[in-house]
Amino acid sequence: MYFVGVDLGSTMTKVVIMDEAVLACVIGPTGAEHRRLAYKVMEETLRQANLPFDEISYVVATGYGRINVPFADKQITEITCHAKGVSSLFPTVRTAIDIGGQDAKGIKIANGRVVGFVMNDKCAAGTGRFLEVIANDLGVRLEEMGELSLNSKSRVGISSTCTVFAAQEVVSRIAEGTPIEDVLAGLHEAIASRVYRMVERLKIERDVVVTGGVAKNIGVVKALEEHVGFPVLVTEEPLLTGAIGAALLGKELTLNALESGRPIERGARRLEEATFFK
Amino acid sequence: MAKGLDWAKRLYENRSQRAKELREEGNKVIGYICAFPPRELITAAGLVPYRITGTLEPITEADAYLETLMCPYVRSCLDLGIKKRYDFLDGMIWPHTCDNIQKTFDIWKHYVPHSYFHYLDVPHMPDPSSFEFFTKELDVLKESLEEFGGVKITEECLKEAIGVHNENRALLRQLTGLRKQAPPPISGTEMTQVMMAAMSIPVYESNEMLKNIIEEVSTGKDGPQEKTARLLVYGCEIDDIAFINLVEECGANVVIDDLCMGTRDYWKDVATEGDPLKNLADRILGEIMCPRTFRRSPGTRQQDLDNRFSYIRDFAQEFNVNGTILYIIRYCDTFEFDAPEVRDYLEEAGIPVLYLEDDYSLTSIQGFKTRIQAFLEMIE
Repeated sequence: MYFVGVDLGSTMTKVVIMDEAVLACVIGPTGAEHRRLAYKVMEETLRQANLPFDEISYVVATGYGRINVPFADKQITEITCHAKGVSSLFPTVRTAIDIGGQDAKGIKIANGRVVGFVMNDKCAAGTGRFLEVIANDLGVRLEEMGELSLNSKSRVGISSTCTVFAAQEVVSRIAEGTPIEDVLAGLHEAIASRVYRMVERLKIERDVVVTGGVAKNIGVVKALEEHVGFPVLVTEEPLLTGAIGAALLGKELTLNALESGRPIERGARRLEEATFFK
Repeated sequence: MAKGLDWAKRLYENRSQRAKELREEGNKVIGYICAFPPRELITAAGLVPYRITGTLEPITEADAYLETLMCPYVRSCLDLGIKKRYDFLDGMIWPHTCDNIQKTFDIWKHYVPHSYFHYLDVPHMPDPSSFEFFTKELDVLKESLEEFGGVKITEECLKEAIGVHNENRALLRQLTGLRKQAPPPISGTEMTQVMMAAMSIPVYESNEMLKNIIEEVSTGKDGPQEKTARLLVYGCEIDDIAFINLVEECGANVVIDDLCMGTRDYWKDVATEGDPLKNLADRILGEIMCPRTFRRSPGTRQQDLDNRFSYIRDFAQEFNVNGTILYIIRYCDTFEFDAPEVRDYLEEAGIPVLYLEDDYSLTSIQGFKTRIQAFLEMIE
């Protein structure tokens, strides 16, 4: 049996097909048009796995745009999916910190289940969007920011937590002649500190797993470690945790239904463009 | 004439309609803010009490008079005042409940003219001397209403007003009690409409409406569907259906609340034996469970917490809830100070808690949706 997880994030769309393990996965940008075309990413993943859509037992959609997936059987929030995905990869996890394009969240996990969570609201400071804006302003590639910042000898303090004002602060630091790695290290610290303060409301416990696009930035991860006071774990592909969790929850639902002889509740399964926006 | 829940819904959608009609017939309407002013005295003076609320619509005028880091509910009320939406009121009573309400009184008085204003000093600690003082304050309010209404409030007519308002509270409790059923015969959204309606009309009409609604919902009307979770909503001012409706749409039954426009307002009655002013003081200062009143800690920290919050836990148990949502309005320091302790207290008692902070305008409703759904998945 095959199970699909679709994680339609604010910035990236992630699709995985699983049986016992991940068979295929595709990560593509979301964007206004791409969201409508989530089924194209699905089709590409099916091609990669060499499977027809009919062979898929269950599809769970999650993330920001979970409602815009007309071929899903069920929608489950990213909180529940992340917790599932992270605990399948790291069974010892007690705290998951997910920093995505537009959201930062902390999830407290016990025995693979969510027992508490926090999320940022409205403001994009302390998320991937913040890094994107600054990378763009500085003319550095998003992917190299983390490594660059590790060369910092004396990181600067970034006082503003607002993306727009922080960008101004960065520009003026650069104009003063501050080395770019010190500015980047300061930025990473600003994000880490903001996320840490939010997640600490849940009382962070070991093991801590960091996921989401920003987990690929070693600078932010190191800064987070300084705050929590011990090493954190990062998954091999931090973008996929939500989609993996979604697929696994679909699997769980299907197997439970089969075991108890209940029919499997399915969605309309239209592998086409989403025509509703709710 | 609409009946039952339709009656409440119509009033909710056009709250000032009845008050305006009554005014045209020659009655005087007295606005009041918050759950603390004694409606009984307004009724006894032959005046119509009307609860002031805010709105979800954007604040466009009040920001010129109040900083944006003030309570957004009070800012919204003032905004409506400045826009002349409360110009059907003949007067207003403001209680000293929290600092935001206290200070806004002066601004309102200056910029929103009514022919009568009274500022009610409510002490912050329920100590014996405070009750004595507050009883005198209520006497001052009584005299001021007598003068404005051109009537004498006799002990007999005040007792009668207390009786009618006690009946109003008893009816609201009776209606709330029905929500213990699964599924509840009335939704949280409908209950919000009922509260908003009940606080916009004379108490006699309010009682008639509530009797009507109780009859309607207890005799096989199509009530809400049974959902996977039964929730308690805790907070201060919720005077629009949007939030509770969102919670119910996400797949929960809201079955009990601890809100200013909810049980906090009607859970306790005024005693009927003895001095009516003293009895009013006892209820307002002693029985309204609002964090603006500082209750001295008796003994240990646990005893202090029990003293302040055990009634919420009891609500949760009596109404068989499987989760609580704390809906906290940003910059409402009164509730923000208490919220982390309420959360810990309820979690300790095994009741899961979702803590939401809002600016009272529900602009981040999508973000709330994800949190509420995730919370429901968590407690499922």
